[in-house]
Amino acid sequence: MKTVHLHIEGIVQGVGFRPHVYRLAQEFSLNGWVNNAPDGVHIEIQGKPASVQDFLNALRENPPKLSRIINRTETLVARPKFDGFQIIESKDNSEKSVLLTPDYAICTSCEKELFDPENRRFRYPFITCTNCGPRFSIIDGLPYDRIRTTMQPFNMCSECKNEYDDIYDRRYYSQTNSCPVCGITLSIAENGQQPCEVPDIFQRIYSALHEGKIIAVKGIGGFLLLCDASNKESIQLLRQRKGRPSKPLALMYPDEEMLLSDVETTPQQLEAYMSVEAPIVLFNCKGSMESDLQVNEIAPGLTSLGIMRPYAPLLALIARDFGSPLVATSANISGAPIIYNNEQALSSLSWIADLIITHDRDITLPEDDSVIKFTPEHGKRIILRRSRGFAPNYLARKSVSTDPVLSMGASLKSTFALQHGENTYVSQYLGDQDSFDAHESFKHTLGKLAGVLDFTPREILADMHPQYLSTILAEKLAKSHTIPVWKIQHHEAHFAAVLGENGLIESGEPVLGVIWDGTGYGTDGQVWGGEFFNYENHRFSRIGHLAYFAHILGDKMSREPRLSALSLLHGTIAEQAIKDCFNQQEWEYYHKVLRKGDNLQTSSAGRLFDAAACLAGLGYSTTYEGEAAVKLEALAKTASDKKNLRPIDFEQCMSPVYHLLRFHQFLTNKMPTADAAWQFHAGLVQAIHFKARSHNYRKVAFSGGVFQNDVMVDLLVSLMQEKFELYFHEELSPNDENISFGQLIHHGISSSA
Amino acid sequence: LGHGSGGALTNQLLDSGVFTLLDNEFLHSRHDGAILDLSGKTAFTTDSFVISPIFFPGGNIGDLAVNGTINDLAMCGAKPRYISLGFILEEGLPVEELWEIIYTIKKATENAGVQVVTGDTKVVEKGKGDRIFVNTTGIGTVHPGAEIDAGRVTEGDAVIVSGTIANHGIAIMSQREGLSFETEVQSDTRSLASIIMKLLDEFGPEIHLLRDPTRGGVATVLNEIARQAKVGIEINENNIPIVPQVHGACEMLGLEPLYVANEGIFVGFVDAAHATDVVELLHGLPGSEDACIIGRVVDQHAGQVVMQSAIGGRRIIQMLPGEQLPRIC
Ligand SMILES: [Fe+3]
Ligand SMILES: [Mg+2]
Ligand SMILES: [Zn+2]
Ligand SMILES: [Zn+2]
Repeated sequence: MKTVHLHIEGIVQGVGFRPHVYRLAQEFSLNGWVNNAPDGVHIEIQGKPASVQDFLNALRENPPKLSRIINRTETLVARPKFDGFQIIESKDNSEKSVLLTPDYAICTSCEKELFDPENRRFRYPFITCTNCGPRFSIIDGLPYDRIRTTMQPFNMCSECKNEYDDIYDRRYYSQTNSCPVCGITLSIAENGQQPCEVPDIFQRIYSALHEGKIIAVKGIGGFLLLCDASNKESIQLLRQRKGRPSKPLALMYPDEEMLLSDVETTPQQLEAYMSVEAPIVLFNCKGSMESDLQVNEIAPGLTSLGIMRPYAPLLALIARDFGSPLVATSANISGAPIIYNNEQALSSLSWIADLIITHDRDITLPEDDSVIKFTPEHGKRIILRRSRGFAPNYLARKSVSTDPVLSMGASLKSTFALQHGENTYVSQYLGDQDSFDAHESFKHTLGKLAGVLDFTPREILADMHPQYLSTILAEKLAKSHTIPVWKIQHHEAHFAAVLGENGLIESGEPVLGVIWDGTGYGTDGQVWGGEFFNYENHRFSRIGHLAYFAHILGDKMSREPRLSALSLLHGTIAEQAIKDCFNQQEWEYYHKVLRKGDNLQTSSAGRLFDAAACLAGLGYSTTYEGEAAVKLEALAKTASDKKNLRPIDFEQCMSPVYHLLRFHQFLTNKMPTADAAWQFHAGLVQAIHFKARSHNYRKVAFSGGVFQNDVMVDLLVSLMQEKFELYFHEELSPNDENISFGQLIHHGISSSA
Repeated sequence: LGHGSGGALTNQLLDSGVFTLLDNEFLHSRHDGAILDLSGKTAFTTDSFVISPIFFPGGNIGDLAVNGTINDLAMCGAKPRYISLGFILEEGLPVEELWEIIYTIKKATENAGVQVVTGDTKVVEKGKGDRIFVNTTGIGTVHPGAEIDAGRVTEGDAVIVSGTIANHGIAIMSQREGLSFETEVQSDTRSLASIIMKLLDEFGPEIHLLRDPTRGGVATVLNEIARQAKVGIEINENNIPIVPQVHGACEMLGLEPLYVANEGIFVGFVDAAHATDVVELLHGLPGSEDACIIGRVVDQHAGQVVMQSAIGGRRIIQMLPGEQLPRIC
């Protein structure tokens, strides 16, 4: 007889791990026990040595579907004879280092039951099982058990309890188990009235959507706003009420069939779309569509659509009932975070939504929908927003340090990260920190997560930017905890993030970091953004950058691409091309400002893309971050000739003015705008290639918002993959969402150096 | 202004008119200092004015210096009584300009009912100054009904501004940058003393705090008070009074009007129950016709100023340290 103690870490709670283990133990006629602890799952398995080995193999090869194991230790122990196999009560007295289970989309078994009139959960909007449903967004403590979630107030009826206790049932130990008899109730609030329960809620939703009304519905991570995606007036009304003039809106399709008829899909995209994380996936529109989707209203100036599947049973019911695509966007007001509690929804959504659909299961941790895309040519996955389904776990390769550290990220696409023992957590996207509500939500999420994990930092990391609210908050927290705060340069943090993700921290050979984005505060007090770094022997050094140009008028320049264009083109022959973007007085005054010698300087690649977009006639001011660059990217994708790379002058390849004048020349030479836009991208890629070549690098890593750009990424891969090892972000977004993680890695590197 | 030794020129200057122009019993007696008879609580303040340009639409450095000090006294709830006047003149300043400044000073003091009781003039070599620097020091008697103290700012207080914001800063900027707008933007420099006295006559202790949002604008003052009084302040962008021209100019210059300087308005924290009456009174007084309630003191976000923005959403209004660095990525 042999007894083995197993400790398994990773995503192992709320995923049916214990019943799985139980069933395996039965199968091999073994004795012992399994339990959930804050540091993962513990198992003691006892029996014939051969059977124990079979059990261990089976568990390794076939773990529960939703689990993700990051560490597993097996110890031979001496134990008296166990009596059978038992699932024992959770303990909560050891260190809380379990990974949190994210929220997962409805599984196929539950979906089948949902639409089966014979099933007792037919059309029950909160059907779940151990393979699906909310986890992270309802958690109140660890270990993950019903009493420490917002399912706690709901007492299971006898039928549900039987399922819960039956080890051979799909709902055995399912903490979110409930049914129409004992479960969560849906209510409806109309025209600013108090919510009430009515029998025909779905009928009302259906009619409201048909009549072009906007409805708010409580989803998994917060409220969503829905309206008919073929109704132009509804979409315009939604945009107007939400204060979101042109930023693309996400869609929700009733079924896969309709999706396939409207957009082009690749197996990769479909897999992501159908995955348990169920993010918004960007798809290219088909030339002609089955449904009468208002593409121009949904994604003005763009050719792709963000679509997610109805990932919660409530959403599945609404989408199926409606039968054609819905606009589905986070319920928030211009820049504020997603609204997730009932009171707030009733008070602030009543003038956006005509109907508010809510229920009595609380959300503890709000999260938006995640957004991902794949580059068309090489199928590189790019995470644009990492939230529901992904956050807050980060299944890092070996962490650099296990000291408890909190990092505060950047500002506009804020996240925070925690190093907690062996585990690294990177929070969901938490919005623009200048928004009061986003800042509050940041503090709430941080407080909640630190509480759940029993986490107290010993050091805090923040960006160097003196005006980031995350940095100011870092200083406040550091002061109140009397712990040190370290400031890390923005682009070094980006670089560290991509190094960390790709296991390059201990790289024996130098790595070139190409870190291109819009804005980051540099160590020289200037605005960086088109940076080249060397990483070698645990040290970062800035080895080059796009040539400086004037950064005038603060954030106004980031909002108005015409100012970037003027800053780059003034005094050149191309300057007249943008004169129409200004009135006489602006033209004169901005020139005067540019003639002054004391302007702030920038090497921003983002501003260079803005300038090119302006020159291409894509508008001289923007209403959402990155709008100009996204439109230029969309334009470049439609180029007719994507083969003939026009060579660049390597002498001038670090000059943004050169790249812009070259673009201007293509345009004046009557090259189609799309082709010229593509050549502009290609010029920058050649410049990066040249830099890597001339410095004899073999490894090149990319980070920063610019590498959300499909055209850039595909061109880099095409041009460089043969001779270079290229590293991109995999699990994290290339944009500022990765700064918090990068800060952790950077700090780990510099404290170990 | 001519060359030669400072001393002689100064005496000559004073003799030839400053005293005559600003004449009063104190200056007349030509003592080394003024002998004042004050009783009760007294407010005392000083400020130096080093600005460029010195002439701007709506005023010049002279009335700015007088009104600035008068307003600082008024913000203490004091009726301004006496001020001192110190000039540092750079050689080469045209005499006509100096006279114009002094004449403006005379008018400003008369309007506000204060007396210049002592003064000083120095002339420095060319390059050692910037045309003209003015220092003013003021003394005033605190209104018996005044109970102005940051500690009295409490939850529920209404936040009032007495007029349209950002006029002074934009007037200076447009002068400096040679910008012209359909209607000229004028500096709002003015004495607030009589408005404040009427306010205190009428409402006394209901006025919890007064501040003039000069450099750094309304945003800076609100942040200072939020921190000092440890309260949260909530304002509504839609309620902030601003002249369309000024708004347009700020837009063009990339400036946030809340951070632009004012010289003739005040920010008041007023007991909520009396706020509308206060505004009504202000509307009837010259110089505060555009007064508005722009927000209130709340029991959340202590130390922070939050603005309900016109396009929806709430924005944190930061204390702006130094230059405005871009943050948008
Ligand atoms: Fe960045
Ligand atoms: Mg002053
Ligand atoms: Zn399920
Ligand atoms: Zn039940």
